[in-house]
Amino acid sequence: MAWRALRRVGPVLAPRCPLLSLPPREPVARRLGTSSLLLAARKFTDKHEWVSVENGIGTVGISNFAQEALGDVVYCSLPEVGTKLSKHDEFGALESVKAASELYSPLSGEVTEINVALADNPGLVNKSCYKDGWLIKMTVANPAELDELMTEDAYEKYIKSIED
Amino acid sequence: MGLQSVKNCLWLPCVLRTPKACFWSTAGGGLIIQSVSNDVYQNLAVEDWIHDHMDLEKQQVLFLWRNSPAVVIGRHQNPWQECNLRLLRQKNIKLARRRSGGGTVYHDLGNINLTFFTTRKKYERMENLKLVVKALKALRPQLDVHVTDRYDILLDRQYKISGTAAKLGRTSAYHHCTLLCNADKFVLSSVLKSPFKGLKSNATPSVPALVKNLFEEDTSLTSEMLLDAIAKEYAMQHQIDHHITLINPADETLLPGISDKTKELQTWEWVYGKTPKFSISTCLNMVYKDSVLDVKVNMDVKHGRIEVCNIDLPEQWLPPGLYSELVKSLTGSKFCPNEITALVTALLRVCPQDDELHSRWSLLCENMIRLM
Repeated sequence: MAWRALRRVGPVLAPRCPLLSLPPREPVARRLGTSSLLLAARKFTDKHEWVSVENGIGTVGISNFAQEALGDVVYCSLPEVGTKLSKHDEFGALESVKAASELYSPLSGEVTEINVALADNPGLVNKSCYKDGWLIKMTVANPAELDELMTEDAYEKYIKSIED
Repeated sequence: MGLQSVKNCLWLPCVLRTPKACFWSTAGGGLIIQSVSNDVYQNLAVEDWIHDHMDLEKQQVLFLWRNSPAVVIGRHQNPWQECNLRLLRQKNIKLARRRSGGGTVYHDLGNINLTFFTTRKKYERMENLKLVVKALKALRPQLDVHVTDRYDILLDRQYKISGTAAKLGRTSAYHHCTLLCNADKFVLSSVLKSPFKGLKSNATPSVPALVKNLFEEDTSLTSEMLLDAIAKEYAMQHQIDHHITLINPADETLLPGISDKTKELQTWEWVYGKTPKFSISTCLNMVYKDSVLDVKVNMDVKHGRIEVCNIDLPEQWLPPGLYSELVKSLTGSKFCPNEITALVTALLRVCPQDDELHSRWSLLCENMIRLM
């Protein structure tokens, strides 16, 4: 996810993004699962995409930091269902305020669904970046790649560090 | 040009490939280059090349370029919606799709293009535009120019002289802007008017603006003076020499892989095929034997190809077999006059030789092709 650091975003990030300020999730109950694929916690890339995996399918979106930095999204260019992606592959672009920002896949896998609601309502990416504004769903070809991504806590620290 | 530029061109491989060894150490954090080509596809390919291959952490780049007449649409735009494609074809004006966002612009030699390459971290459109304004003011202090929050540069508070677009990649980014000097405003406004009615699309629409040429305001200005002033301002801010290095976008040894990039930008698949899905719901008013025939046409076009097609002809106007053949062969075809012309000509060849049928067929096909 391409973004532009807006200094003013920093101090207001936490209050405007309740999801990021939640206490860390308690993973005890879920630790029973044998694979991290069962964990639905969001993991983040340093390019500001997030992915949460449930039942072997990853849902991908952009972070609140990214959507704020982008400004109003007016068009979402998304891949076809069935597209095979490797981690870091470009999978589309978001357009906002005359800028096209490339999207990068957080994981390797195959696109199983795209968020068709974004065609008529690209602003969902701004309004609800963690829920209704998701971008694609994909299979998880290599679950170990999830471990290379940041937890919400680590991501929050990361965006603080790049703002300084 | 002359010898000086030849020397510059020869010098560039070392500038671009091994900045550390021979350029970076002497020239600091910036490079100013200018294209010797006026071909829009070649110049857009230079942008791609720099974006993909140069280490912008070490040096930022300012790329200056001008094009012979061309309409340039934004990455997620619909050319049928944005411009008059028939007029473009008639006037031999090129159509190009950029990789950056934003709206449609008209280029000719009276328009200067500036591309500011930085890392994604240092991408800052407002700074770049302020630099341009500062350069203009340095040249002509009395010019009333300012940057708007839509990243346009306005002259006399109302006339747009510069529009902006940008692309942000993994680590690199660029911001490019136009600068109207003495472009053909008549051609500009006529080609940027779409005659299309009944097109529905989610593609990014352009925002039309009143435009003015800088040279209308001050007839003593020249493009060279402007380029020079901008280069000087850029050089000063980046503490580099304001020397402009000329670059030839056809030079494969200098820019390995550039010709493939140029070719890709010219393909139908990129220029038209990347158009966001759209639908057409229109009525052809065909004059046939002194009466007007209203024919409703509905089509869905995806990736530039007709996905669904419906032509509402009066019963028996065409033999039913021929009508269904037409719809069948239109479905899946490119929404493109050449392809459709070839297709309908082939269809007619297998038809009974009937003058009446031929004239009806030609009328319908002419009208269909006019849409494209």
